[in-house]
Amino acid sequence: MKITFKIWRQEGANSEGSFKTYDIDGLTEDMSFLEALDHLNERLVLKGEKVVAFDHDCREGICGQCGVFINGRAHGPHDHMTTCQLHMRSFKDGETIVVEPYRAGAFPVVKDLVVDRTAFDRIIEQGAYITAKTGTAAEANAILIPKEVADNSMDVAACIGCGACVATCKNASAALFTSAKINHLNKLPQGQPEAHRRLVGMTDQMAIENFGSCTFTAACEVECPAEISISSIAEMNARYVKAKLFG
Amino acid sequence: MTLDSKIPAGRLEDKWTSYQAKSHLINPANKKKLNILVVGSGLAGAGAAATLAELGYQVQCFCYQDSPRRAHSVAAQGGINAAKNYQHDGDSVWRMFYDTLKGGDFRSREANTYRLAELSAPLIDHFVQQGVPFAREYGGVLANRSFGGVQVQRTFYARGQTGQQLLLAAYSQLSKMIRAKKVAMFARHEVLDIVVIQGKAKGVIARDLATGEIKRFAADAVVLATGGYSRVFRLSTLAIGCNGSAIWKAHKRGAYFAAPSFTQIHPTALPQTSESQSKLTLMSESLRNDGRIWVPKKKDDNRQAKDIPEEERDYYLERRYPSFGNLAPRDIASRAAKERIDAGYGVGQLKNAVYLDFKHAINKLGKDVIQDKYGNLFSMYEKITGINAYEEPMKISPAAHFSMGGLWVDYELMTSIPGLYAIGECNYSDHGANRLGANSLLQTSIDGYFILPNTINNYLEGELKETRPDVNHPEFVKVEDEVKSQIGKILAINGHRTTDDFHRELGKVMWQECAMSRNKKGLEKAILQIKEIKDAFWKEVKVTGHDNEMNPELEKALRLADFIELAILMCTDALERNESCGAHFREEYQTEDGEAMRNDEDYKYVSVWEYDAGDFKLHKEVLEFEYVQPTVRSYK
Amino acid sequence: MSMFFRKSILAATGLFLCIFLLVHLSANALLLLPETTARGLYNGYSTTLRESLVIKIVAYLLYLSLIFHVVYAGIVTYKNRQSKGNPYVMNHKTETSTWASQNMGVLGMLILIFIVVHLVNFWARVKLGIGETVRTDVAGNLDVYEVTYTLFHNIYYVLFYSVLMLPLGFHLHHGLQSAFKTLGFYHKKGLAVLAKISLIYAIIMSVGFAIIPIIVYFK
Ligand SMILES: Cc1cc2nc3c(=O)[nH]c(=O)nc-3n(C[C@H](O)[C@H](O)[C@H](O)COP(=O)(O)OP(=O)(O)OC[C@H]3O[C@@H](n4cnc5c(N)ncnc54)[C@H](O)[C@@H]3O)c2cc1C
Ligand code: FES
Repeated sequence: MKITFKIWRQEGANSEGSFKTYDIDGLTEDMSFLEALDHLNERLVLKGEKVVAFDHDCREGICGQCGVFINGRAHGPHDHMTTCQLHMRSFKDGETIVVEPYRAGAFPVVKDLVVDRTAFDRIIEQGAYITAKTGTAAEANAILIPKEVADNSMDVAACIGCGACVATCKNASAALFTSAKINHLNKLPQGQPEAHRRLVGMTDQMAIENFGSCTFTAACEVECPAEISISSIAEMNARYVKAKLFG
Repeated sequence: MTLDSKIPAGRLEDKWTSYQAKSHLINPANKKKLNILVVGSGLAGAGAAATLAELGYQVQCFCYQDSPRRAHSVAAQGGINAAKNYQHDGDSVWRMFYDTLKGGDFRSREANTYRLAELSAPLIDHFVQQGVPFAREYGGVLANRSFGGVQVQRTFYARGQTGQQLLLAAYSQLSKMIRAKKVAMFARHEVLDIVVIQGKAKGVIARDLATGEIKRFAADAVVLATGGYSRVFRLSTLAIGCNGSAIWKAHKRGAYFAAPSFTQIHPTALPQTSESQSKLTLMSESLRNDGRIWVPKKKDDNRQAKDIPEEERDYYLERRYPSFGNLAPRDIASRAAKERIDAGYGVGQLKNAVYLDFKHAINKLGKDVIQDKYGNLFSMYEKITGINAYEEPMKISPAAHFSMGGLWVDYELMTSIPGLYAIGECNYSDHGANRLGANSLLQTSIDGYFILPNTINNYLEGELKETRPDVNHPEFVKVEDEVKSQIGKILAINGHRTTDDFHRELGKVMWQECAMSRNKKGLEKAILQIKEIKDAFWKEVKVTGHDNEMNPELEKALRLADFIELAILMCTDALERNESCGAHFREEYQTEDGEAMRNDEDYKYVSVWEYDAGDFKLHKEVLEFEYVQPTVRSYK
Repeated sequence: MSMFFRKSILAATGLFLCIFLLVHLSANALLLLPETTARGLYNGYSTTLRESLVIKIVAYLLYLSLIFHVVYAGIVTYKNRQSKGNPYVMNHKTETSTWASQNMGVLGMLILIFIVVHLVNFWARVKLGIGETVRTDVAGNLDVYEVTYTLFHNIYYVLFYSVLMLPLGFHLHHGLQSAFKTLGFYHKKGLAVLAKISLIYAIIMSVGFAIIPIIVYFK
């Protein structure tokens, strides 16, 4: 299989970037998209050129480290799929594939296709936890949690933190990510004591990090590998309205 | 140096309690003065860093990913064991201890294994407190499932993402301490060497992966929590960046390496389909509850699975292990698959897989039931392979999965270098020669949350009197120079082969000779081959780019350089152990019908290796079994 | 000021305008009646509106809503632009979301143009007395019917009034559901119902407003 890659190359955060075109042969349909990039990189090394830097680790769709914009879509042409799960059989022989880094003010480019998503970590730091010291827990079954509640909490807890929601959003909003984490904990009884602090702290940080506001285009829920629904954002809003109106 | 495992005296049940009662404490004002480096942010590292910081220590934590949340603990699917006996099915700490010890084929310490079982129940309490959305019953209590061939239901789970949920809980606690400025997090930092001063671990040298800058970090103690090293096989269920570099460098600086060759090969991963494949994806073991494993009876049968009639199929697990059948333990199922594949009965493009067939289950239970149970796995299978497994059987294949071996640690989780600790998958502690399913998330978590924070004080108390060396100490300068010169050397070779090319070659040798079944001749040959690979690597590898920038190719090469050396030790270890136990199967030591033959008389010890200027010296930690008599594992 | 606050203002004013449109359309439906009945009812109705105190207050609320809606839409759009980094070279937005949801600003601008023209045509003449004076009908009410009737016999105005109801429909379809979500309506099944209601509402509003000029034209 033969593919023409048009890839964004950028030396560093403060350098100018541009697209470079690479024709590459010898790919197979069973290869994953990232393996095709590996393949390209091996050719580049042998030619004495620098490899294309891209983020990845688990390569099974769970760590959330991979993520680039492929042919105009976050994580490529399929819905609910990470870049590492994308396989070359989704492309045609001879096709040109355009690969760009995620674009958002809060995700500056580090190099080539690698962006800095530490803004997500800082949102988490503002309250996505339960303040309780190790070793102080009561017997687990002392807290009964209805199955539906646990299931709903798990639905949003499944977020892998890949940033596709931000990348695809016309407003670069981190609402899906932030709401998923807030709702995961605020739905559970364990999360109640800090529910308000968490809500306010994390949403404030979202703005500080210069993420945009959600206008419900719903593009994020289509790209989300964990299939988190935008109803999660609405739920976060409900919590916010309630907190503001009733304290 | 003699190996002192520091097992506390007293009854098995009381050892941990009496250890804690007797260990030295440090008052809060003094804890603030002590600095601890935690290398790794997986369940072990994040749990330890957060808990140590809560206790008042100054902590610096490292991971090579862009965020601590991505450590490979995130990928664990199945669940975590705990002796809660919520199912009222006769479980207990004792039974769990026994299952683990026996599952490990009696190659681990009773005291450690018992502590693992003892601390399992409080760990579940801890994770529930932290907001892990474990599966629940309608009544609101926690749900369990059975896992890994034990007879009780003691596995707690959060859908198919247990590892993710536990890791996110640990990461959240870590984030809390980062915000409180008690932990300084260094993401995208790879630790490349350990600094040992006057025999004690006092710091690390790390490379900032975003800028290439080499940095020195000084501390009163160093904790390694760098996870498994099965990427030495190249193709494994591990993440691409998983490495053995930090523990290997620690080994070269004097930390002993225990049972390096004990590697778990998981029977149900997706097979390799091409040369350029980079990783193997795990398919949950639970599929074996309803799927039947088979290969064609005819060699090189090129017919489609559906065209092969029942009587021409060999359900080899059912044939060989009538009582356990398709549910035989991991090591046995993997080995049986390898036997068939090697004998020429493999299926798939590269003839390296076996069928996992749901036809019978679908006929019997209906497609809906199967879909309900395994729907997400079937769709994951389709995403990766493009094949609909309701219509044709899955193709699966064994894959390297977990390192039982690791840095030797004593009861306090301290390595043979004072002040250097190893926790989580990177140590050799509780699993013996084979790990039970769902026991690893457990071990890794309790190491970080419960054990280390209660043992490290015993050492640090002594360090209070000493001044912490500063990063300008000559030893720091020396180690940094060594790191830099290694980087310079690799970049200067400018050969004609890529790092991946060498890794593939290494992986093939390791997979052939040091995986599911091993023999003397093969291992001896492998050692020679790997030494050749090493020579060639240092002459012919080509790495482009510079050291002072983000350079993924350089990262790979540095990791591979360490893997190559580690591989030699793994083969040396496998060669030395003239018995078959757990995952270590030596072809020379098997019964007539091909089952493992353990030799307690001569090998009832943990092989502990000391690095000796390029060579390895064996020490033996003889295992005493006071409470349990080793028996033969049989799954016939 | 928080992004929630800004978005909530946008949503609340939007919803208020949605209610207004409903009332407006039902009144305009009077225009579809036979001329004799329509003229009396319509003119009477508009006089009542002009003279009632309650309606006056509501009218001011309406003006305010409109202004706030426009101003906050501007602020939100501006802020969101700032959050967005460099644009993608290739971006297949419509594969992941509706065109309308991606272009609420453009749609809003078109509607704003419409509103300005619409206000000049009616509000300025009837209320402010700017331009040609409006005659009174037999009952002594200002003959707004006549104003409408004349306007909608100009084919250009008919086209303008009808065609611009298309962007209105798109804007409402996305806006209505989005406003509810912004204000915290998150019930999963409810959201599916909400989506349907928004669609039906948008169709009724745009088709309803669009056919009136056409029907009047052929009267
Ligand atoms: C696919 C898969 C499924 C599994 N399923 C289960 C299961 O169901 N149940 C179960 O009990 N176990 C399971 N396991 C095993 C279990 O997940 C792991 O053993 C465990 O999570 C390891 O945790 P850890 O903290 O030791 O290491 P990891 O989570 O791997 O963390 C290692 C950390 O070290 C860092 N690091 C590594 N090298 C360096 C370096 N040189 N410098 C700086 N930082 C470094 C990494 O960045 C990372 O933060 C599974 C494993 C795999 C691969
Ligand atoms: S590499 Fe981990 S999600 Fe893609």
